[in-house]
Amino acid sequence: MSASITGLLKPWTPRLFLVRWSRYNPYYLEPEPRKEVYHIPETELTPEQKEERELKSVRPIKAATNSVTSSVFNDPVLSKFVNMMMKDGDKIIAKGIITQTLENMKRKQVEKYHKAPEGKKAEIECNPYAIFHQALENCKPVIGLASIQKGGKFYQVPIPLTDNRRRFLAMKWMITECRDNKHRLTLMYEKLSQELLAAFSKEGNVVKRKHELHKMAESNRAYAHYRWW
Amino acid sequence: MELETRPETFSIFRTQENDPACQSEQHLGQYYTVPPSHFHTVFPHGLPPRYQQQVKTFNEGCVMVRQPALELISHLKRADYSKPTLRYLLYGVKGSGKTMSLCHTVHYCSTQGWLVLHIPDAHLWVKNCKELLPSSYHASRFDQPIQASNWLRNFRTTNEHFLSKIKLRQRYVWTKRESTEEGRPLGELVDMGVSRVKSSSDVVGAVLKELRLQAGGTEGGFRLAVAVDGVNGLWGRTTLKKEDKSPVAPEELTLVHNLRKMINNDWCGGAVIATLSQTGSLYAPSSAYLPQELLGEEGFDSMDPFVPVPVSLYSEKEFESCYLYYLDRHWLQHSHSQTEEGKKEMIFLSNRNPSVLERLCAFL
Repeated sequence: MSASITGLLKPWTPRLFLVRWSRYNPYYLEPEPRKEVYHIPETELTPEQKEERELKSVRPIKAATNSVTSSVFNDPVLSKFVNMMMKDGDKIIAKGIITQTLENMKRKQVEKYHKAPEGKKAEIECNPYAIFHQALENCKPVIGLASIQKGGKFYQVPIPLTDNRRRFLAMKWMITECRDNKHRLTLMYEKLSQELLAAFSKEGNVVKRKHELHKMAESNRAYAHYRWW
Repeated sequence: MELETRPETFSIFRTQENDPACQSEQHLGQYYTVPPSHFHTVFPHGLPPRYQQQVKTFNEGCVMVRQPALELISHLKRADYSKPTLRYLLYGVKGSGKTMSLCHTVHYCSTQGWLVLHIPDAHLWVKNCKELLPSSYHASRFDQPIQASNWLRNFRTTNEHFLSKIKLRQRYVWTKRESTEEGRPLGELVDMGVSRVKSSSDVVGAVLKELRLQAGGTEGGFRLAVAVDGVNGLWGRTTLKKEDKSPVAPEELTLVHNLRKMINNDWCGGAVIATLSQTGSLYAPSSAYLPQELLGEEGFDSMDPFVPVPVSLYSEKEFESCYLYYLDRHWLQHSHSQTEEGKKEMIFLSNRNPSVLERLCAFL
């Protein structure tokens, strides 16, 4: 019995080497960081959850990474944005920039809120997280372009994008825009908060870039049948 | 910047008693609003920078009534001003609210008509000085014209109404052609210090000397409050260097020398309220917060005897009050921060430390 378990837990290499792969044996299970799952009393568990708990008590579990927390303030989209902004593995600086950005956005909006007359107060959105999510939504392209080779030439063919790809493109455009088109003396968080507020109201360079991609896709409609998937 | 005045509504974390003299234990933990008209005259330079940002965002300046400030104010009410000055020292861990308690006391002093000498941070005088001129008055000392003129300008804003009433008792000669005669109003001296930047440090010394002599006087007597933030900077080391790269000791700076004379208790008719600060201090370990550690031997001997006033972290009631205030001002925006779970997490992350809580709520 013990011999077969130790056989399963030895260091494992996959048959096909992917770009980003984990050294964990697939036998290991994912950790569960959310607190609510552990607070459900015994009686209210569904059969699947009971089975899962049985499994977890025998199987080994992977170590949780530093970025997952059981905190109520944990936001997966924001964590992804922080990781994309990070350079050379320096998450402290990236996280610091994002928190300063959120604070800056909130300060601007709350100041506007307190100075606005009574009727206009309800329209001003003060929640920086809501603004961030909405701005990202406004920057996500609906359709993308792929370079497909047909008859010796390469054509830009409009293709549908997956959700992950759309989110990645929105974040990438936002970050590159803030890094490149910034005045030498403006700090990153200041520029990022300006761009996010502009994207929230559908103005600004990032939303413009999304519209240009849509226009290119629209103009290349004729090549759409070159796509075979 | 216009600060709004609001109609009176009943709330558990606010009090309508905006006069520090009338506040008592029943107002502990509640926020009172500093009237917008007073704000720029009383606090041109005393407040912490994050608090100034908060005032600008919320469009009002609210201060929490806390135990250390109330204790200080009650001491000031009952002190005997014919005896030598009492020195009060606020100490506590980083971020526990020492500067805010000092500002509360300064507001009390200015509503009671005292002359307030508020030095926002003594550490600013012992580091990062671009221009260090040799003093004209005393050969081995150094002048700091920029810091001195900035301070004089703020002093003028705070104490406008006193400047014409106080008359000088001595003749001061600045250069071969300039001098200020006896009997001229103090305002003239201050204006001269602001315009003639080169001699501004000596002007500061002269102003301090005059105020010290005249504070306890029976004719036209006023009470003098000397509020110094970061007083441990006066007795440590400096980061300034002379031209031959040797370090400058604090006593070789005119501003520091004159301020030390002010903190001595050889004059009467006022009070010295000081705060220790590790944040701006030089060559002090970050875990140090007690008077003995931060003042050093020399500082402690000069300040001794003093009345120590400990400033602690927020109690449960004060934390509740702060939380409700932020909710009221629409500062806590995250949907989870308004739940019980989020509140427990905030208590855990900040340990009820006022400045840590403020920084935490900033991005929540």
